[in-house]
Amino acid sequence: MGRRTRRPAKCRGSSNVHANQLRTQLTDASKFVGSVVVTLFGLLVLTFFIGRMMPVDPVLAIVGDEASSATYERVYRQLGLDQPLYVQFFRFVSDILRGDFGVALLTGRPVIEDIARVFPATIELGTISIIIGTGLGVPLGVLAAVRRNKWPDYTVRFFSLIAYSTPTFWFGLMGLLVFYAFLGWSGGSGRVEIFYTGLVEPITGFLLVDSILVGEWDVFWSALRNIWLPAVVLGLNSMAYISRMTRSFMMEQLSQEYIITARVKGLSQNQVIWRHAFRNIRVQLVTIVALAYGGLLEGAVLVETVFSWPGFGGYLTSNLMIGDMNAVMACTLLVGVLFIALNILSDILYRVFDPRTRSA
Amino acid sequence: MKSLLLASATALVLALPLPSALAATPNDQLVIGLSMSNVLTLDPAATTGREGMAVVNNVYDTLIRLDAVERTTVHPALAESWQISEDGSQITFQLREGATFASGNPVTVEDVLWSFRRVLSLELSGAGPWAVAGYTVDNFDELVTAQGNTITVQLAQPGDPQLLLYMFGKPSNTAIIDSRTALENEVDGDLAAAWLTTNSAGSGPYVVRSWNANDTIILDRFDGHWGGEAPMRRVLIRHMPESQTKRLMLERGDLDVGLGLSVPDISALSTNPDVVVQSTPSSGFYYLGVNMKDERFANRDVRLALRHLIDYQGINTTIMPNYGVLHQRPLSPGVVGSLPDPGYELDVEKAKEHLAAAGYPDGFTVELLSLNEPPFLDAATSIQGTLAQAGIRANIVTGTGNQVYGPMRERTFQMIVRRGGGGAEPHPHSNLQALAINIDNSDEAEHLAGGIVWRTAWQSEELNEMAAAALLERDPQAQQKMYEDIQLLYEEVVPALQPFSAVVDTVVFRADIEGYQNHYGWTTRFDGVSKDR
Repeated sequence: MGRRTRRPAKCRGSSNVHANQLRTQLTDASKFVGSVVVTLFGLLVLTFFIGRMMPVDPVLAIVGDEASSATYERVYRQLGLDQPLYVQFFRFVSDILRGDFGVALLTGRPVIEDIARVFPATIELGTISIIIGTGLGVPLGVLAAVRRNKWPDYTVRFFSLIAYSTPTFWFGLMGLLVFYAFLGWSGGSGRVEIFYTGLVEPITGFLLVDSILVGEWDVFWSALRNIWLPAVVLGLNSMAYISRMTRSFMMEQLSQEYIITARVKGLSQNQVIWRHAFRNIRVQLVTIVALAYGGLLEGAVLVETVFSWPGFGGYLTSNLMIGDMNAVMACTLLVGVLFIALNILSDILYRVFDPRTRSA
Repeated sequence: MKSLLLASATALVLALPLPSALAATPNDQLVIGLSMSNVLTLDPAATTGREGMAVVNNVYDTLIRLDAVERTTVHPALAESWQISEDGSQITFQLREGATFASGNPVTVEDVLWSFRRVLSLELSGAGPWAVAGYTVDNFDELVTAQGNTITVQLAQPGDPQLLLYMFGKPSNTAIIDSRTALENEVDGDLAAAWLTTNSAGSGPYVVRSWNANDTIILDRFDGHWGGEAPMRRVLIRHMPESQTKRLMLERGDLDVGLGLSVPDISALSTNPDVVVQSTPSSGFYYLGVNMKDERFANRDVRLALRHLIDYQGINTTIMPNYGVLHQRPLSPGVVGSLPDPGYELDVEKAKEHLAAAGYPDGFTVELLSLNEPPFLDAATSIQGTLAQAGIRANIVTGTGNQVYGPMRERTFQMIVRRGGGGAEPHPHSNLQALAINIDNSDEAEHLAGGIVWRTAWQSEELNEMAAAALLERDPQAQQKMYEDIQLLYEEVVPALQPFSAVVDTVVFRADIEGYQNHYGWTTRFDGVSKDR
């Protein structure tokens, strides 16, 4: 039956071929959307039930430990905790579908507003960190691969091992001690030095950008003085990971026959490395950089804590600690969407970097 | 091309205005670092933690103010004066004339009554003391009235008017809110509960300019405050959960005041001439609590044994510095009738005798709950060690607040190390309410009183009666004697809660800060703070 209907279509010419392509694309798109929805829903279910199973009582966070039971009961009912779990869950989901993420217990403000405030702080920090991490990690990784088992390789491997295995909060504290307390090169904790707080109303939410937009140069410099240290701390961690991965990708390429051919052809060392070997690892690099970036955007709780950085990770963690599921679910959804978006982005970059994927 | 890019980038950087050099905090701004994790609201009636209280207390006024150090001294605030009637059945307050809210609205008796009634109507955490004192939404209008500029508060039940008076100095119970501004922002009859969570409508020396949860709170001076302008134009409060960050910033002079530093950091700072470490007695105690529902602890001899199995000296000299000072009685130091400590000591032999008398010569196994943070866990570990000397094998179970307090709330715990015990009002009854009085010990009676004693299922009818009688005694000498007797009885019947340390609060500030005085009841004011530069 299926064959019969398909065969005449094939004979009818090129417009039908296009129609078929379109159909396949639509099916692909709906499959994609379907998988996104299923992923996000699964994420919500898991987050909600794990969150509710945790021995954390949001009511106590609000009323304090010594509140009378009348007050306790009132808040308990107010939060809808007297309802069965599945009722609570469906209430959450239906609210979310209507675009209502609720109010966060921690701030008394709509969750969306909170996220709009804390997320740019994290994006700003994460982006600079990933630029540092990639900018240092890739060249170092290439260097290590090219000078394999020589001193540059050992040095890169040694330092990346240290950078990767040292806890970031320790790096953060040491960084503060040296660059803030002793040298005074860093502005210390927070997004700006404390007396510049609140001088620039958020426009984009990125303080470095906003301060330039309104011409508050003092705030800009202060923000720069404050962001570089946490960005370097996080960036070193990504650098370590990226350089190690780059090294192993490159080594694999450098042992391929086409490299030998290229060398035999008399191409310069630079051309062999950058035009040939490096070109072929770009796809893999995009994947790991995207993953590292995603990790940074998810929030670096420890670094945020050490630097009093009002970011996403700290927000998510403090809400988790008091069991505020409104905020936790919204944050989880955001992280889910973020990773899906990064996946799409790296898919697009694959197509740019790897001609073989374009026809598919 | 590349060099062009490089050149233009360099030119751009050079063209940017250069940063101005900054050394210390501005002369007219106070910069405070603390953890804001517990600042969930700016509504005074819903405030529970000490950090939130510090903010609210500077934004709102109360009728009176309790002195930060001298526990029984009361200062006028929005009430210019007050009288307690001869028979002790009522308090009258004369409202200050000419005081205004930050909005410009005058402070009126209507605002006062509205603010008090609001706490009761909303059943927020600040309603607790009102309820304990016998006030309800129904009897409020009858008992609390106003005429002209005078507010009259009738006691709802026989008691000590002095104790009730102290409530009018606590912003969580009796902050005066600008009712007109609040009602303009009311939604669905919520008495502005939603709006006041993130906004302020007070008459205090400061106004909330902005509050970003877990980030910053900025308070601007209210120039029209009845008490005169505060020296500091602005108070900047920054969320700093990490103690070492606060320490570094204090050392650098980028922070004026640091709250909630860890003891190692405080110790390190105590030798620094640039900062002052201010330790003041606070309210409450660290104590060891047991559950009387557990038949072992219902036995008086076992509790006596436990009394001798705490290394009071050791804990207080090695674990508690900057957290607490040695204290064994149930009353806060400095309140009426407070007796010197009975001098309990670690005495394993005596404890063993009591255990043998109770029928546990070989001890037993017990679960000891403790928060997983200092000094709780350290104290619990010390107690675990001393219990073991008498054969009691304690398994420490740690967790965060709710994991540890939950079993106690449900009366299913066995043993716990925690902090509490009242004392925010400078009256012995405040302590007894938290550590001794349990009117109804039935499982259904949790709504009565603060509930901590109830949670241990410990009850002494005699003590209940004595406490009630002491509250009614109008003769100061006689009352003092009664509170002394109560402490002796408390010792005799052997409580389920044994204090081993009285809480102290430690604040670290720069040496050029003047007038910063930490308040034992968490109501520290910033309007007396200035900088000597």
